[in-house]
Amino acid sequence: MTGTLDLTEFHDELRTVARNVLAAADRDSAPSWTRVSTSGWLGLEVDEEFDGAGAGFAETAVVLREYGRAAARGPLPAVAALAVPALGLVDPGSVRDRLLREAVAGATVPVLVLGGETLGVTPFRLDSGVEGPVLHGETSFVLDAPGADRLLVPATRSDGTVVLVDVDPGAGGVEVTDQPVLDATRSFGRVVAEGAVVAADTVHAFRDGASALRHLADRAAVAVACDSLGLAEAMLDTTVAYVGVREQFGRRIGSFQAVKHACADMLVSISVSRRLVAAAVRNVAEGAPDAAVSVSMAKSHVCAAAVDIAGKAMQLHGGMGYTWESGIHVYLKRATLNRSLFGSPAEHRRRLAQRYVSPAGVRPRACGPRRS
Amino acid sequence: MSPAPPALDEFRAEVRAWCRDHVPAQWRSAQTGVSDDEFVAFQKAWFRELRDAGYAVPHWPKEWGGGMSVAEQVVLYQELAAHDAPRLVLPFVSIHHAASTLLAAGTDDQRRRHLPAILDGEIWCQGFSEPGAGSDMAALSTTARRNGDTYIVDGQKLWASGAVHADWCLLLARTDPDAPKRRGISYFLMDMRTPGVEVRPIRQATGESHFCEIFLDGVAVPEANRVGPENEGWKVAQETLGAERGMTMLELAERLGTGGFRRLVELCARPRPDGSVPLDDPVVADRLAALETEITGLRALCADFVADDRPGPADASIVKLYYSELLQRTTDFGADVAGLAAQTELRKPLSSSWESGPWVLDFIGSWEWTIPGGTSEIQRTIIGERALGLPREPRSAT
Repeated sequence: MTGTLDLTEFHDELRTVARNVLAAADRDSAPSWTRVSTSGWLGLEVDEEFDGAGAGFAETAVVLREYGRAAARGPLPAVAALAVPALGLVDPGSVRDRLLREAVAGATVPVLVLGGETLGVTPFRLDSGVEGPVLHGETSFVLDAPGADRLLVPATRSDGTVVLVDVDPGAGGVEVTDQPVLDATRSFGRVVAEGAVVAADTVHAFRDGASALRHLADRAAVAVACDSLGLAEAMLDTTVAYVGVREQFGRRIGSFQAVKHACADMLVSISVSRRLVAAAVRNVAEGAPDAAVSVSMAKSHVCAAAVDIAGKAMQLHGGMGYTWESGIHVYLKRATLNRSLFGSPAEHRRRLAQRYVSPAGVRPRACGPRRS
Repeated sequence: MSPAPPALDEFRAEVRAWCRDHVPAQWRSAQTGVSDDEFVAFQKAWFRELRDAGYAVPHWPKEWGGGMSVAEQVVLYQELAAHDAPRLVLPFVSIHHAASTLLAAGTDDQRRRHLPAILDGEIWCQGFSEPGAGSDMAALSTTARRNGDTYIVDGQKLWASGAVHADWCLLLARTDPDAPKRRGISYFLMDMRTPGVEVRPIRQATGESHFCEIFLDGVAVPEANRVGPENEGWKVAQETLGAERGMTMLELAERLGTGGFRRLVELCARPRPDGSVPLDDPVVADRLAALETEITGLRALCADFVADDRPGPADASIVKLYYSELLQRTTDFGADVAGLAAQTELRKPLSSSWESGPWVLDFIGSWEWTIPGGTSEIQRTIIGERALGLPREPRSAT
């Protein structure tokens, strides 16, 4: 990739392919995993050495946004945005390398065990046992855990270091329970490890454990923000199309100011959301030191805005919008789920607000990430 | 953010050094409660400082004294904002609307006559709106009747910012009363010292009198002072009205995000009379974080807008609408947190922007953004129709 223009073209192409593939999929099922893997989406961020595309998070973000736009099903976001990059953060080795290649090829579906209600910490611990390392811990709302072939569990060792444990979901002492949610496009599971004995060669050391966990939490939050941005865009498009043809009182309803202005507000909100997501994606992709600031801004703002927009879409579609058949409810449910997943708007704003005052007293500052 | 080219970093360092040396210390308190004459003198002096540094008209073509790239202008306004420099208020119409009109549609003579004069401090105002022509500006009824090589202008203009101090006026007047409303308007440059011009300040909601009425009674305007062909003034106005809005919005967004937000955090961290600190209240902290997020979004929106060679048909409206309403939310929050103490701040510093710190006055002043320059309602209609392609309102004949 050289220069911005090439990158823009690459993103446009990626977007077009993703949109077509997802549009062709049956609305009530996930796009075929073969189609997903042959599209190259699973290995976008993986080095060519491991059969990936050698691109970055910015490219994954393009696909994530299309997943939101289509309210698509399937574990692509969990695998491509979290599990595969997690494997990239640990020391290489034959077991890891094989899993990475299989994941990119779509032969194995690994899922990162990141609780949907936790941010940058892991409740799992890895102790030493007579038969080998032993895993303990439990967490809920793990995205796509029920269908996973492998569970990648971040765990803390007794010395405080953080490792990534590659676990077979069917192994003894490991239990994955399906957690049905109102958003029918999503799958969540509760993962419990009660003294699960794991093979030593499936314990991978993070190169920098604490920062890896923070980075993965940031990724998770931004991935959801990308999804919400895409679904908000879809809701605006469908609403504009509808109010442009639906007639009442002898006029197309989009000519009424109350309707038109509501659509304008949706576009303004999306315009701002796009910038916040772009900044967060850029900072996460570059590993910027204050990436967490833009991540919390994007997650809190965009995921809340998407709920407003999907809600407004339902309102402007009138009675039709409230029907099951219209499918607006699918987006509204997905938007509300996204808002709560990986940190609520209030939690992310609390993180932001911690910067306003230091323990030493007042530390007024200009807003946004610092410019050098 | 991708690394800035070294030349831009050098330029930033240069502007920073200049700001440290030239931004008057304590100008905010010095400009609070001053007389109109003192405000004018301060503005003119600040304009000269910026002009001598080459910072007053960076957006003009190089041959007329400008020539900065868009990227350099962004750096300039970011740094002026970050150093909390005074704003150019008095010469605003001169350096933006008057200059862009002259550059886009003026004759060589008109440019030579006025562009250097503007750099020497010539002040302009804008005579567009009228009592009966606000949001529907094309409905204006001020007339300009041709009499040989002169037009005789009669009518009344409203909301002309700074007209009491203006030397010249950008004037729209009807030259063909029988043509459809947008096709009978011509664009003029009017000398404010011409007999028959009378200016009366309008006291606005904040108590200041920045806006004016202009009464025009048999005012003679030479044909040489018409801009563009007769009856095509509406087109000229449309093409030049929003010409500089992008960089102005960027500057205002930067000011809101730097000095403005800093003052807001200071306010929230300052103990109340009972010793409690607003920021310790999670609700206050939450709202502050939400505002910081929105302001960050606004700044990115503005940066993209000025960098975009082919902005969308309603991008200017999106930026203006979002800034206006975010300014209103921000100042409203400031007024709420500041409480009764802010009610005792009877004056705000002149030469500041709209988040100057006396939050109640700032809040009231925020309607100066949601109403003029196309109300928020007009902006939403523009966004709905031009960006989203929604069906138009039924319209009167044009």
